[in-house]
Amino acid sequence: MNDNLKQRIEELKMKNATQQLNIIGRILVDNREMTLWEHDTRLLPRGAAKWRRKALKFAREEIRPRAPEADIDPHNFDPVPLLRASAKKGFQTLVFPRPFGTANMNSLLKGLSLQVAVIGEEFAAECGGLCLLLLAHNLGIVPLILSGHIPTYFRHFLPFYFKTKYLGSPSTMAFAITEPEAGSDVEDTDGGATAKLCTTAKPFMNGYILNGTKVFISGGGIADKVTVYAKIEGRGIESWTCFLVEKGMKGFSVGRKERKMGQRACDAAELIFEDVYVPKRNVIGKISSGWPNNRNVLNYSRPCVGAMALGHGRGAFERALEFSRKTTLGGKRLIDYQDVQYELADMIISLWSARTMIWHSCSQTRAYQSASSAAKVFASDTAVKVCNQAMELMGDHGYMHSSGVERLWRDSRLTQIYEGTNQVNRLAIMEHQWDVEIDKSVLGYE
Amino acid sequence: MEALIEQNILMNLAFMNLSFEEVNHFENLARDFSKRSIGPMFENDLPDGDLSHLEKIIEKAFDIGIAASAHDKMAGNEFGIWGNCTDSSGLLTSLVLLSAIAESCGGIAMGLHSHGVAVNILQKAAHKMTKTFSRPIPCFQDDFGVPSLKTIMSPDLDMPQKMKTEAVEAGPGYVLNGSKHFTYSLPGADALVVLARLENSWCCLAVPADSPGVTITDAGRRTGLRASKLNHVTFNNVTVPRENRIDENGARPLVIRSLCLDWVGMCAIAVGIARGAVKAAKQYAAERYQGGAQIEDHPVIRMLLAGSETRARTAKATVLYLKDMDPEKLTSLRAAAMAKLSVMEVCAQAVTDSLQVFGGYGYMEDFGMEKRLRDVTVLKSAHGSPLYLKQLICDIDREEAR
Repeated sequence: MNDNLKQRIEELKMKNATQQLNIIGRILVDNREMTLWEHDTRLLPRGAAKWRRKALKFAREEIRPRAPEADIDPHNFDPVPLLRASAKKGFQTLVFPRPFGTANMNSLLKGLSLQVAVIGEEFAAECGGLCLLLLAHNLGIVPLILSGHIPTYFRHFLPFYFKTKYLGSPSTMAFAITEPEAGSDVEDTDGGATAKLCTTAKPFMNGYILNGTKVFISGGGIADKVTVYAKIEGRGIESWTCFLVEKGMKGFSVGRKERKMGQRACDAAELIFEDVYVPKRNVIGKISSGWPNNRNVLNYSRPCVGAMALGHGRGAFERALEFSRKTTLGGKRLIDYQDVQYELADMIISLWSARTMIWHSCSQTRAYQSASSAAKVFASDTAVKVCNQAMELMGDHGYMHSSGVERLWRDSRLTQIYEGTNQVNRLAIMEHQWDVEIDKSVLGYE
Repeated sequence: MEALIEQNILMNLAFMNLSFEEVNHFENLARDFSKRSIGPMFENDLPDGDLSHLEKIIEKAFDIGIAASAHDKMAGNEFGIWGNCTDSSGLLTSLVLLSAIAESCGGIAMGLHSHGVAVNILQKAAHKMTKTFSRPIPCFQDDFGVPSLKTIMSPDLDMPQKMKTEAVEAGPGYVLNGSKHFTYSLPGADALVVLARLENSWCCLAVPADSPGVTITDAGRRTGLRASKLNHVTFNNVTVPRENRIDENGARPLVIRSLCLDWVGMCAIAVGIARGAVKAAKQYAAERYQGGAQIEDHPVIRMLLAGSETRARTAKATVLYLKDMDPEKLTSLRAAAMAKLSVMEVCAQAVTDSLQVFGGYGYMEDFGMEKRLRDVTVLKSAHGSPLYLKQLICDIDREEAR
């Protein structure tokens, strides 16, 4: 390219060409040199934007250096320092406002899960396993909040939050619904109706005796308290009730910790209940309110899983971008080749679409099923696609551990499975909208 | 029924010099090898199997003639993977063998495949070399990756990047400098088959692995295909005797050959991985009960299974279509690039959908599905990414139109 052509191209660039417009025209053009991340952050409510900035910094300083070791050798990884650091920064108490929690009230009112989703993206861009380690805890907390039972708040939730927020306690909670013979079944109405559940609660004295097994419980191996769903003995899933089981209760133990393809830094544990006595004060909400409580927890958590997936995709994109900037071929940076630019642009579009959908879903003050499921499905499918694109762009370098991209790809694949497989989530969208769309369709079919 | 369809496909594809029975024999041989020799490697909790079994498995592959050999008295010389039969009887036996082995382990298939590509090239000069190498590594990729078409045609031109690995005539032979990257092989390599620039043309040299100036380093931890070795090789003033030059007058045909065989073989491996995944998913779906029924009765699961099986079969048809290509022609290189571009994508989708049938269990190391997904994903990016392949396909098309 000769100098004359270069100069002409420079003059035609929007930033320079805009100078030919009059003042009103110039005001209406956004020529600020700003990253897409910054553009998006400014769209958020002020409180959520603050958390996004804080989370980016925390992820780079605390999660990034720990990620490779936690992935390669999860069994010898000590999560306590990270949990403590996260608690001190207020990330572990984000589903309740001040003075008990750390959530920004204004942002919380605009969307209960927005702040968690925003930090989830940042954490997951560095490491899916460590992100899950920090976020799975919220899943254990949400059933307590959704129970709407004020005594439960005072007995279990607020003291726990107080310890975490003010004392920097690394204590965590976990959420246990999946059983060996009932995975996606308990995340779908039709499946739930015929699910073979093995965890039961039998009334005894002033409480219940729990028996059974839960599997694939994220963070279950390290949790201090677990919200466990069990059917009342002799009845079906309609009797599902949520119980708070605490570490040290007699008969409660952690079994096998699964060996996973990705998100390895956070355990997926088997929880075993053998005649565990749970006092009545540890029943969360009403008896038989477990099924709607569980489904509503999923409505709040699914967009957050989508946000994590989005983070994996963004992390992969950022690494591919960096690789393309640093690698030269024939004296040119890879990023200067048009086909590479095309591929990177495609990734940006995909990620942007996913973020838009997640923030839309999280901006519902009360989460609803179809929006939550749609965001989760779209973001997780998008993340896997973008991670694949990033790996392919980097050629042989992409599948090496040192690239960091392959770890994010492995991490992203799980987001298509947990919190209900994407197949079950698609059915959830139809289930939720079915009658409404037929009865009140704008097309007005009779 | 399934076996009958497979039989029909093979019968239709049997090459002029090979009967259906012979092709079937090779497939059964590979399956038996997988079951008896590779099977025990996975009788533990390790996600990629117990790799200490590897040497024993490879020895067996040589014994029964699955691994190619440059020794003309060894079983694999003719019908081993990419053995002499590639030129006399076509690519079919190698494709069938690779695919059948990859159903059990993509990594072992990849090691045998890469070894075979190197042996195939070595066999071109077997008559003039005094020493026969038993475990060569094919080395054709410089640090920037697979060369573009213009570099394949002229390795000295920056279009966009000339070959950096260079041989210079010196005294009784050549002096080699440069580096080769991401070379797959069997363990215990004793030679390197190197494609390098010699002035303005290509040359191909067989370099003993223990030559002074040769450094072989492990490429590091990676996503999949871990049963195969992956190395970077550097050459620092390595002296290579003249008799170790494989080509006569320029090695461009060998460059094309090595790329063609590499890509088509990798496609066959991907097909094998996909077929293994589909089989496992079908079996799981027939055994697993959920919601009061076997999951194979759930319409969503049926969609995943049918889609995966269709993809695996489509990929297989694409690969077998190339069975009688001449691997030294540019048209074949284009066809091989197209096959890699499409087969990898289709197979990866078949594997990921098969994994999805398992739900959470598919993501755990116990069922072998996550290994299949890791392996097939590596194949997609290895030795020519989709971006590169697309450019190459267009370049060859334009070159042929001239």
